[in-house]
Amino acid sequence: MRAFGAFQRSSLLLRRRRANNEPYALVPSGSFCTDNGFETTSNDSSRVSIFDRHLKRKQRDRAAWLTRPNDSFVDAVAENLLDRLEDCRKTFPTALCLGGSLEAVRRLLRGRGGIEKLIMMDTSYDMLKSCKDAQQDAHNDNIETFFVVGDEEFLPLKESSLDLAVSCLGLHWTNDLPGAMIQCKLALKPDGLFLGAILGGETLKELRVACTVAQMEREGGISPRVSPLAQVRDAGNLLTRAGFTLPSVDVDQYTVKYNSSMELIEHLRAMGETNALLQRNKILNRETALATAAIYDSMFAAEDGSIPATFQVIYMTGWREHYSQPKPKRRGSATVSFKDIHKHFGSENQSAQPS
Amino acid sequence: MLEWSSQDLNHYKMVRISKALLKEAGTGLSKTLSEILVCPLTKQPLRVCEETNSLISDSIGVSFPIKDGIPSLVPKDGKILGVNDDQIKSDAADAAMNKE
Repeated sequence: MRAFGAFQRSSLLLRRRRANNEPYALVPSGSFCTDNGFETTSNDSSRVSIFDRHLKRKQRDRAAWLTRPNDSFVDAVAENLLDRLEDCRKTFPTALCLGGSLEAVRRLLRGRGGIEKLIMMDTSYDMLKSCKDAQQDAHNDNIETFFVVGDEEFLPLKESSLDLAVSCLGLHWTNDLPGAMIQCKLALKPDGLFLGAILGGETLKELRVACTVAQMEREGGISPRVSPLAQVRDAGNLLTRAGFTLPSVDVDQYTVKYNSSMELIEHLRAMGETNALLQRNKILNRETALATAAIYDSMFAAEDGSIPATFQVIYMTGWREHYSQPKPKRRGSATVSFKDIHKHFGSENQSAQPS
Repeated sequence: MLEWSSQDLNHYKMVRISKALLKEAGTGLSKTLSEILVCPLTKQPLRVCEETNSLISDSIGVSFPIKDGIPSLVPKDGKILGVNDDQIKSDAADAAMNKE
């Protein structure tokens, strides 16, 4: 997202230079994008808006009514994320659960991590309300749960107040992902844990292709239908940039099979994962939609007639700095030469190597 | 639990009364939550305003609503408090006093 902003700025610089030196040079038109709303926001270079957060909020309101119980994809991601809590000996009395699949995280927690107080935060009031209502029949009663409507980009939590922050499938809709993660880090106590799952760049690649081909065919041009998502290598950089220690990133790819491509769209709607780009095309032609479905069918359908869709999930783990954590020593601070280590353990190594 | 600025001290009595009224309606904010929540924009402590049932960030003069015990701290939901609002607030408190 930032790369695009930088690219636009550098291209403007280039234009100015050209205009000075070569008066006859071909000058590209002012901006590569036609949406004026974007240009005004990009003037403020530190905050580039890609997603319509207000629309996302509405979509999540709708998703609250559409959510199906026990969505297997969401459950798999939440389960995988929460599984990491079992790897820690530490307990997390105060935890925050951010956006995305709140209900699944709450349901699958099952006493893991020793959580006593759980704060659920989402941008959508309806989502929280449905989560609150679902609470009655859940069995983990010993967790005191609180609900707050809040924006991940403007985290309303006191500094050093949390032991754990979990975000399951929500952060990929933030305009300022590094900023949101820095705020998470600040809200954590020293030695607090951040767990995040976001959708990665490989997600919905089939749909991306089908939409592009159908739009080219029917409308003679393309508009963004699937949002730009973080790549795996970005995730590691994000964690270090936000200042988390002991960062780790791993990737999982899920292929979900649907009976038809319409079912895929229904699923995306129920998860609140529909298009919320600021630059989106606000009209979806019926013809184009049907063409997309047909192209998806013909290009990607499996032999048994089911429609596969790829979801790439990037799991991020990081800790807030604490003196008890292992740290690399300062460069050049070693007092023992590697040669000496070889002398000491050389004989053992040689015996170990052949096996 | 609450941060009181000097101008609020004289409202304290009235607030306590209306607090009792609100507790029955079940709209009160839990202690843990009011301890942990801060203004999303300035990260400064928030003040609970019982009359209007909202959280107020004094540093920027914005109030955030509480709906069914769920506080909404999205910057877009915040209302900028004008000079007149203080008048309205004290009127509401007076009304609460008269009821007692």
